[in-house]
Amino acid sequence: MEVRKTFHEQLDDLYAGLLHMGSDLMETIEKTRLCFLDLDKEAADQIICGDDVFDDYRNNLEEGGLELIARQAPVAVDLRLVIVIMRIASHFERMADLCEDIATAVKNIPADFLTAWIKDTIDEMARRANRLVERSIECLKERNVEMVRELESMDDAVDKLNRRFWKEFDRGREEDIEVAIRVVMISRFFERIADHAVDIGEHVRFVVEGTIAPLAINDECQ
Amino acid sequence: MNGNGHKMQVKNLSMYYEDFKALEDISLDFPSRRITALIGPSGCGKSTLVRCLNRMNDLIEGSRIEGEITLDGQNINGTGYDVISLRRRVGMVFQRPNPFPKSIYENVAYGPRLAGTKDKEKLDFIVEDSLKKAALWDEVKKILRESGQKLSGGQQQRLCIARVMAVKPEVILFDEPCSAIDPISTQKIEDLMAELKKNYTMVIVTHNMQQAARVSDYTAFMLVQEQGEPGRIIEFDDTNTIFTNPSDKRTENYITGRFG
Repeated sequence: MEVRKTFHEQLDDLYAGLLHMGSDLMETIEKTRLCFLDLDKEAADQIICGDDVFDDYRNNLEEGGLELIARQAPVAVDLRLVIVIMRIASHFERMADLCEDIATAVKNIPADFLTAWIKDTIDEMARRANRLVERSIECLKERNVEMVRELESMDDAVDKLNRRFWKEFDRGREEDIEVAIRVVMISRFFERIADHAVDIGEHVRFVVEGTIAPLAINDECQ
Repeated sequence: MNGNGHKMQVKNLSMYYEDFKALEDISLDFPSRRITALIGPSGCGKSTLVRCLNRMNDLIEGSRIEGEITLDGQNINGTGYDVISLRRRVGMVFQRPNPFPKSIYENVAYGPRLAGTKDKEKLDFIVEDSLKKAALWDEVKKILRESGQKLSGGQQQRLCIARVMAVKPEVILFDEPCSAIDPISTQKIEDLMAELKKNYTMVIVTHNMQQAARVSDYTAFMLVQEQGEPGRIIEFDDTNTIFTNPSDKRTENYITGRFG
């Protein structure tokens, strides 16, 4: 017998909203990848305008979460899930902002600037970043803590690509420096998207285990 | 346990009404100057357990216990243990406020008078002090001679707390103290409990899980697994853990409202 049926239905709705936001986000990341490869300024504008949708998603999920906390006093796994829905919504919203940043950069890159090597490397990072987002959402759906480790190693691969890109990137002529910075930042933005996906895994761990994991120690600080 | 230790300890307690086993193998320590909440569905034995702590069940024919309950290390069911002094040291506040059909003053003075205090000045002091401790003094100081039964439900409940205070208990048991009173009075009693915690060890039985979450330091979850079985402790932990990350699935199912 379940006694808090209405509350649990409201919680299910909130969770469904988050999953919608996640699948819309994956679509936007894919559009951002294509927009970069084609240097498609029109698509870039669409991505920039589309960011409002994610702000709305985030605000609605936050309001919904606050309302459940205030009116239903959730406890235990329900409380943890409400908190995590609100946190993940913020991550998704940040990832959408990064897509907007990439689209803004794309608008300022001349058509002849991108070599095949640049395109291939960033394309690879973008694909991997989106795959990470997809896996993090699966991790959430399955409440599978085992997958957190997998997310971390997937992220390591993206980090490596990003570092390699910075190292091997040919900055070209002095007058192209501004464009060069934009391209490097695009690489960095995709890498940040992947980082957010790993954080989602940590939030799933909190839902399942109820423990707040210590922040990963930065290698360079050891 | 804050260096204060355990005021009361229950060790392997089983409790019977005739042939019916109501509680089985209860072991629970009540930390000094802390509030311990007992939660669980109706019929899980919360009230029975709390009534064992000042031997209220003695009044029920055919009731008996196995195991041990100690107050400051002394077995309260031991031969020669003075049950009257036990009930003075371990006071109780019931679900329904039950003031005597006497004046507010007499309700509070009753216990000390019974214990031999006759001096008027001393009684006056005890009455005022107890009513202050129960956060009722300001509301009744001008009507002390009026009947306690004229007060509102919430005030009556605080009068009953004052009556307990007057005999200087060490432990206070609350059996559903707020289930018959309004929300504002409930908040007053919850604030009062937080204040009393400085000096008293308290145990509260409550059906209101949010009340347990708000007022208590420790929470025990009790359950009857199958109908006809005795009540058992499923989980005991600090209240924060019970309400954020309980370790037993049955506790989680109960507090989140997912049964069976």
